[in-house]
Amino acid sequence: MTDFRQIENNLKKEAKRLLEAGEVAVVLAYGRGYDEKHPMPFAAKTIADVESLVFNEYCNFNMASYLMRYPWGTKIAIAAKAADSRAIIQLVQEEKVRREDLVILGIPAYGMKNQKTNEVVDSKTTGGLYNPVIYDILLGEEIHGQKIVSPYEVLAEYEAMDKEERWAFWKSQMDKCIRCYACRKACPMCYCDPCFIDQNKPRWADKAPQSPGNMMYHLTRFHHLAGRCIDCGECSRACPVDIPLYLFHKKVAKECEEMFGQAAGMKLEDKPVLVDFRVEDSDKILE
Amino acid sequence: MSFEPKILGIACNWCTYTGADLAGTTRLHYPPNVRVVRVMCSSRINPSFIFRAFQLGADGVLVGGCHPGDCHYNTGNLYARRRLAVTKKILEFAGLEPGRFRVEWISASEGNKFAEVVQEFTAQIKELGPQQKLKIDELQEKA
Repeated sequence: MTDFRQIENNLKKEAKRLLEAGEVAVVLAYGRGYDEKHPMPFAAKTIADVESLVFNEYCNFNMASYLMRYPWGTKIAIAAKAADSRAIIQLVQEEKVRREDLVILGIPAYGMKNQKTNEVVDSKTTGGLYNPVIYDILLGEEIHGQKIVSPYEVLAEYEAMDKEERWAFWKSQMDKCIRCYACRKACPMCYCDPCFIDQNKPRWADKAPQSPGNMMYHLTRFHHLAGRCIDCGECSRACPVDIPLYLFHKKVAKECEEMFGQAAGMKLEDKPVLVDFRVEDSDKILE
Repeated sequence: MSFEPKILGIACNWCTYTGADLAGTTRLHYPPNVRVVRVMCSSRINPSFIFRAFQLGADGVLVGGCHPGDCHYNTGNLYARRRLAVTKKILEFAGLEPGRFRVEWISASEGNKFAEVVQEFTAQIKELGPQQKLKIDELQEKA
């Protein structure tokens, strides 16, 4: 089990040091919520703020989604778990943030829990990783020897379904959607302004929470995140009606990895797969 | 009455559209079920076009572009190939019949191929029957 107390202390120590030295303007990490189980995303800007930082097993938020709220060039320190660090790499690839502006406080974490269900978030939902892919300062000890489950293992059940069955499944899930856009808000990769669904000309889909508009919104969102989704699972944790959006994102990520041989957010020098091509890509992918 | 499918064809201006033109000028026979929309390049196609077409009642969508390497803009169809491959996988995982969406590379000189592809695709869609899954019930949404 990860020593959350130790990580919290290290986080405070590093945050204090960075803010005191003026190396960063803000530390993006987790703050106290109304109880232990509900920590909140927190931006520490002064040394006094540092005392409010926490880290426990419920700190699931992907802080990378807050990176783009600061003006270009702001020096930011960010707490990043395994999936979050991939999000940061992906954002650097997309030139939304600069690597040199960031101080990444890596958090190797095992035993993170979903606030709603108390389920342990294992490697199935963190892209098969426990350790951050990239970091400047590691706040805990690297995790070795934990059981690694393939992130795509959960898909087998749905891939085996008959297409009618799968359609019925997705339709029933999408019908639940109340179009609160929490998935979009929680997603570190959803930064378009305006989002296609907010456009009026053309109006891509109905804005009322009804089946066809929901389907259009979600299918297009899956497409927009193709080859970019870093599998943090925040969309499904943010969802108030518990749509398993992560399943679809995983499927698209899996197909992209198989077709183009590159997983999202693993290397700084990669290009996102859909803004790249290879002449030797096979026509077979279209079959 | 037999089922006449409604097929949306999206054709690139430089190859497939010209190829379709050639099929016309050489008086080739092919089914009239495909409604062709001309775009400047296959990479102009936003995947939402395809989802939207299905929602607005298309039974099939046929996308035509230049052969890879022959793009008028050099690399457009190479991007399109990756993008449309993902679109196809998404439609498939959502549960739509994979046969309803097809991408073909048809050059300006392949009028024959255009006619053949349309014949083949129309027959295939006829077999699959009307597309009901994504289609919007008219009472539900006034687009």
